[in-house]
Amino acid sequence: MSARDAIEIDPPYDFPGYKSTALRAPKQPLIRVAPHPLEIAGPAFSRSFAKESEADLTTWGKSAPLGEKMILVGRVLDEDGKPVRNSLLELWQCNASGRYAHPVDQHNAPLDPNFLGQGKVLTGDNGEYRFVTIKPGAYPWRNHPWAWRPAHIHLSLFGNAYAQRIITQMFFPADPLLPIDPIFNSVPDPEARQRMVCKLDLEQGIEEEALGYRFDIVLRGAKSTPTGV
Amino acid sequence: MGKFVPTPSCTVGPFFPAHYFGPNDNDLTVTSNAAGASSKRAQGTKIYIAGTIYEADRVPRWNSIVEFWQADASGHFAHPNDPESSKADPDFMGWGRRASEDDGYYDFITVKPGGYKDPLTGLVRAPHINVSIMGSGLMRRLVTTFFFPDEPANAGDPVFNAIPDAKVRERIILKPAKFPRAPADALCYRLDIVLQGEDETPFFLD
Repeated sequence: MSARDAIEIDPPYDFPGYKSTALRAPKQPLIRVAPHPLEIAGPAFSRSFAKESEADLTTWGKSAPLGEKMILVGRVLDEDGKPVRNSLLELWQCNASGRYAHPVDQHNAPLDPNFLGQGKVLTGDNGEYRFVTIKPGAYPWRNHPWAWRPAHIHLSLFGNAYAQRIITQMFFPADPLLPIDPIFNSVPDPEARQRMVCKLDLEQGIEEEALGYRFDIVLRGAKSTPTGV
Repeated sequence: MGKFVPTPSCTVGPFFPAHYFGPNDNDLTVTSNAAGASSKRAQGTKIYIAGTIYEADRVPRWNSIVEFWQADASGHFAHPNDPESSKADPDFMGWGRRASEDDGYYDFITVKPGGYKDPLTGLVRAPHINVSIMGSGLMRRLVTTFFFPDEPANAGDPVFNAIPDAKVRERIILKPAKFPRAPADALCYRLDIVLQGEDETPFFLD
């Protein structure tokens, strides 16, 4: 049994605080195929999907991007604490001004010609990963009056099985925008919410150059059963 | 219950990098950007699957991310959880991804998957494709499964039959179709994905 059966960890599909869910959340209840996972195998990605250079987002341009340089480290584990090895982890984020290098983002903040905001790694033998990047900025969005997203980094993980696929967002500690962010607060359990916040870990940084942050990610078991919403 | 509590899911949002879609990521018959940079083609019957993704009120939904995950033509996965993984087609990875276009259109080129006996349950799975949909306004991925028409094994498939209503089951059976964009040598199927409303696609707990 997954802990996700016992605790409301994931946000509901229909969450009125995030307006566009009203158009996209299914109206019919999701169908349970218990007690079996839908599939126990999952895609396995080779090294060619994540070149070593893709772990450093600050060397993409001709010179260094603007912003506060940071190192993000962490481990990917399953519910039993076992490392999830050789697993593709994709990361994307806006620049220090709060603008994504993406055609859909029309926010009136400058693009940084030296920052694309995209990184990929395969996790190591202990499930570990390390990115070099800059701290993303906050940005406004049109969800409601005075809506601003807190600084966050998007993460997409495949795990080692179909049930382990997860897409999430990582937030920063003590951000005053967290209490008013509907996305952060769509996770119903306050303790679960805190597991989306990274921790300052100075010694993972680079002295006189970059701050260090740690963010460990727990995937559910490869053979865990489907869960409620 | 495990020792550690899983990290919550959060919406993919609208800004998933366009660069993460490789030129052949929606062609599962090509492994050139996957393991081994092989120029060989996957074994099996080439098929083309396309359709439109709709949100409420039949409005086409653009910028949705669709992922395919399936067995190879003989029903094997190149994955340690498949006890017969050594028989898996080395030129087939089984995974693909693309974003829906401005008019909600999505398409994949792949091979028809084989059925197999699920190693965990011993139940026979009909040929099928696991489909995940992600996007802004979707808090987590939505998962469904595509099945093939006129497939006797559908009658015993545990996922297909988890849907109690036969009319609803019809909504995840691929329909023979023709598309101008399909490769000439592919069998073509259509399946629209309706996130919400009339003829809503059945989605599974994940």
